[in-house]
Amino acid sequence: MNVILAIKQYISKMIEDSGPGMKVLLMDKDTTSIVSMVYAQSEILQKEVFLFERIDSAGRETMKHLKCICFIRPTKENVDLLAQELRISKYGQYYIYFSNVISKQDVKSLAEADDQEVVREVQEFFGDYIAVNPHLFTLNIIGCYRGIDWPPSVLKRTSLGLSSVLLSLKKCPMIRYQNSSEMAQKLADSIQQSINKEAGLFDFRQPDVAPILLILDRSDDAVTPMLNQWTYQAMVHELLEINNNRVNLSQVPGISKDLQEVVLSAEHDEFYANNMYMNFGEICNNIKELMDEFQTKSKSRAKVESIADMKAFIENYPQFKKMSGTVSKHVTVVGELSRLVGKTSLLEVSETEQELVCKGDHSASLQKIKTLLHDNKVQQIDKLRLVMLYALRYETHSNNDLSGLIDTLRKQGVSDKYRACVNTILDFGGKRSRGSDLFGSTDPVAFTKRFLKGLKGVENVYTQHQPLLQSVLDQLIKGKLREAAYPYLGKNLLRDRPQDIIVFMIGGTTFEEAYCVHQMNKSTPGVRIVLGGTAVHNFKSFLEEIQLYAQTPRSNRSDGMRR
Amino acid sequence: MSSQSSEIREGFLCPMCMKDLGTVSQLQSHFEESHSTEDKATLNQLRGLFDRAKRKFLGDKEEVYVQDAQKVTSDTISQSTSLYDVDYWQHQETGVTHSWTDMFRGVRDTRVDKYVVETNKLLIRLDKLISQDAPTDSGKRKAFEKSVVMWMPDSDAKSCRYCGRSFNLTRRRHHCRLCGGIMCDRCSHFLTHAYAKKLTNPSYNFDGDKDVGFLKRSGSNSSLNSLFSTEGDPHIRSCDECRKLLERRDLQMEQRNTKTAIVLLYEKMKYCIEECEKQLESYLPMVESLCVGESTYSLRDAQRKRGELVKKYELIDQISKRISLLGSDKEEGPSVKQALLQKSVRVYASNFMQENMMGLQNLPTEEQYDKLQKMRTAEIQKEIALERQATLQAQEVEKKKADKHVTTNKEESGSQKHVRNRSIGWKPAEQNVTRDSDDPMVQQMDIIRGYIAQAKEAQKWDEVHMLELNLKDLQMEYSSQQKSTWS
Repeated sequence: MNVILAIKQYISKMIEDSGPGMKVLLMDKDTTSIVSMVYAQSEILQKEVFLFERIDSAGRETMKHLKCICFIRPTKENVDLLAQELRISKYGQYYIYFSNVISKQDVKSLAEADDQEVVREVQEFFGDYIAVNPHLFTLNIIGCYRGIDWPPSVLKRTSLGLSSVLLSLKKCPMIRYQNSSEMAQKLADSIQQSINKEAGLFDFRQPDVAPILLILDRSDDAVTPMLNQWTYQAMVHELLEINNNRVNLSQVPGISKDLQEVVLSAEHDEFYANNMYMNFGEICNNIKELMDEFQTKSKSRAKVESIADMKAFIENYPQFKKMSGTVSKHVTVVGELSRLVGKTSLLEVSETEQELVCKGDHSASLQKIKTLLHDNKVQQIDKLRLVMLYALRYETHSNNDLSGLIDTLRKQGVSDKYRACVNTILDFGGKRSRGSDLFGSTDPVAFTKRFLKGLKGVENVYTQHQPLLQSVLDQLIKGKLREAAYPYLGKNLLRDRPQDIIVFMIGGTTFEEAYCVHQMNKSTPGVRIVLGGTAVHNFKSFLEEIQLYAQTPRSNRSDGMRR
Repeated sequence: MSSQSSEIREGFLCPMCMKDLGTVSQLQSHFEESHSTEDKATLNQLRGLFDRAKRKFLGDKEEVYVQDAQKVTSDTISQSTSLYDVDYWQHQETGVTHSWTDMFRGVRDTRVDKYVVETNKLLIRLDKLISQDAPTDSGKRKAFEKSVVMWMPDSDAKSCRYCGRSFNLTRRRHHCRLCGGIMCDRCSHFLTHAYAKKLTNPSYNFDGDKDVGFLKRSGSNSSLNSLFSTEGDPHIRSCDECRKLLERRDLQMEQRNTKTAIVLLYEKMKYCIEECEKQLESYLPMVESLCVGESTYSLRDAQRKRGELVKKYELIDQISKRISLLGSDKEEGPSVKQALLQKSVRVYASNFMQENMMGLQNLPTEEQYDKLQKMRTAEIQKEIALERQATLQAQEVEKKKADKHVTTNKEESGSQKHVRNRSIGWKPAEQNVTRDSDDPMVQQMDIIRGYIAQAKEAQKWDEVHMLELNLKDLQMEYSSQQKSTWS
């Protein structure tokens, strides 16, 4: 159950199938992201793939001496473009791979376009999603809510993406979904339909314990994507934004040219792989160690005198070069993070957020929020964040002072557009929309846990929060997940302890949840969990998501059946 | 590993009492003596285990058992400490794939077959038309042409089927010599005999590749077109359809047979790289072995091989450089993508060389090698000395035992340790010596003789020499002992 490996295997199989010779990889916009997440360009170059082209780029040169590996999504536009390409072929041979199910009709129309007999292979390879971490995938869709329903095209894309995950991992799962979300049920139905329709594809040897696909809706836990993060990957995404493993640093003051965009890929960067789940403090230490190590190495570099020295140096050169690249990159990123933390009082903001979400002291939290709202160092987006969190947390509190806080936001110059988000978040993820007990106020077990935690004292005030996903998965593994709230699709029930779990979050997952799943994978032997979402959100992209949600007229939404 | 004891113990532990016994046979006899009454099943199981372990010992290193145990422990450790979960990297099958190729081919072939059949017909006719014995006299020629393909009767065509204009006195009917169809002169095409020859005979060497194929019409649409142009070369009138079919075939042949400069160079480079990979396979073990001072391979061989590799690398470097510079001598230079392609090929080649440079640098010089060899010899001698000491001790023990009239032959065979050999790739297998004598000295000599034979087979001359010396010592020792017993 490793999604990165799954995609990698597909791609290397494509390249192997085409045999030796110079190759060009022809992709579309989506497959370009899919490939670039798992393979570095240099890595794929050593497999004789020398050029990368987009199928929709006009005026590509004719190069008959190249073999063309074409990896595209089976959309109508792509099929048309490809048919056109085949009629006047630009490359010597074509090996065509679709990232999902293609219709017979489309294959026929392509065959009819291939008068020049240049096509050697036409296959479906189900890599129709973006693998972020070994256990995390995304579909990079923002805007999957139209009110509380799917836009039809997005439902289709999501369903295709998710079923390709199942096919690439060879899992034919039992499906459970969040009962409070109509969208979750729709997606579950759609997946079941494609499993039934493509029974031939889903026909693989089943393990003793059936895999579980659990479909959840972001509206059940709107808190997690709003919190500031302190583990490396999550923090970089929150503060600098990771886009297909790329981080744009061009806004960093005094940045050198070659560091304006850096790639953070655990596949190709050992330091990142080792530190992506570490918290900020630990990384600062590790960076220091890395720098010391580098400095000792660069000192020895200065002492290159004898030939033996030079030899040793040259022998070390690839690692040396790699290392110096890693050092400057991570020093820059961590440096920028700590600059932002200091400049925007992020520690105070985060502490307040965590206490707000994890503790129940209304007046203390309210007081702190008010102070921070008047703090000029605090960014507007963080002020908004605090008020939105407050709105969700104390939605029904008798002394709720939300209107006062919104008023303060206005005085602080937060725009109408953003202030509207406070009401939107209540509509989106408020008590009325939730199926579960997000803040643990009624569940006695959760309440006791919190109480005990309070007694023991908290290890790290900035990372107290545990996403709802954790308790859901915990219950699922223990067989305690209530069937009423998370029913099975169909009549079959899983009697055994689940082994392979695929969780999908409609409305986008977060790196905090990815971290939590990673921990669970590590600490629960025999259980393997893969997490996916329509997107991987930070607060900014989550705001976009709920703004799109709010664009549907309110009346439509209240008519919708909220179960 | 037992879960209750925190410390992990290695070695030949008795599964019943956890006592550590030195060797397999000791453990087995211990078990038979002390625990035989306890559990027959366990005993059998244990025996099976021993057999397996023994087999492993015979073929493999002595420490297999211990190493396995260590591996298990280190695996568990790495599992708990590694941040990147090991579980993710377990073997995983490639995901589902589904091929449409057959269906695609089916659809395409039925379509393309039509072309192929048609084209083949045309080629047969073309071959006849240009054959040596075809009449050139215009009257006979026409009859001959009609015999090749039935001409469409004039009455069947009122107008040209390409431009649709009706025929009259000035716009005459013309027949395609390949399909017999009718068209007007303006819609006719003419193919040269040379081109026809190229089509019908793929091995025909066609130079003058610039103006091959159909004759170009002059810009003016005069009916007296290129008929008499190009030095009155004989040519064949054809219609547009036939022309297209022939040109399609020509293009296909062209693509199949011609290779551009970059492809030729690339193939050459690729060949060199593959050769290098093959050579590295045999060269790297050489370097490794030489670096520990072994004499399995001669240093000179390795140096020669290294020379060859270096030459190949230079060749790869040259070719890839040439590829990267292709077309840059022309004024406009290579096109953007072509330049990018050429650059990528160069990067590919230099990456390959960088990755495989290591082996070239590590070869020791003669001096270094001498040193290494001496070090190794000293080490081996030390080991053999230890070995002999052990044998002598065993002999003494044997003597004592013999005095007590206890025969424990079984144990003895187990306690004999064979030469521990650190060389890679060669290690004497334990000998099945037929024991004529109970004297361990004699046994030891037998064993060493066996080793010598094996070492000779494996061409480990160092060891052979060493072992022979050892054997001589033993023989001397033995004879002196014998003398002393007799006297």
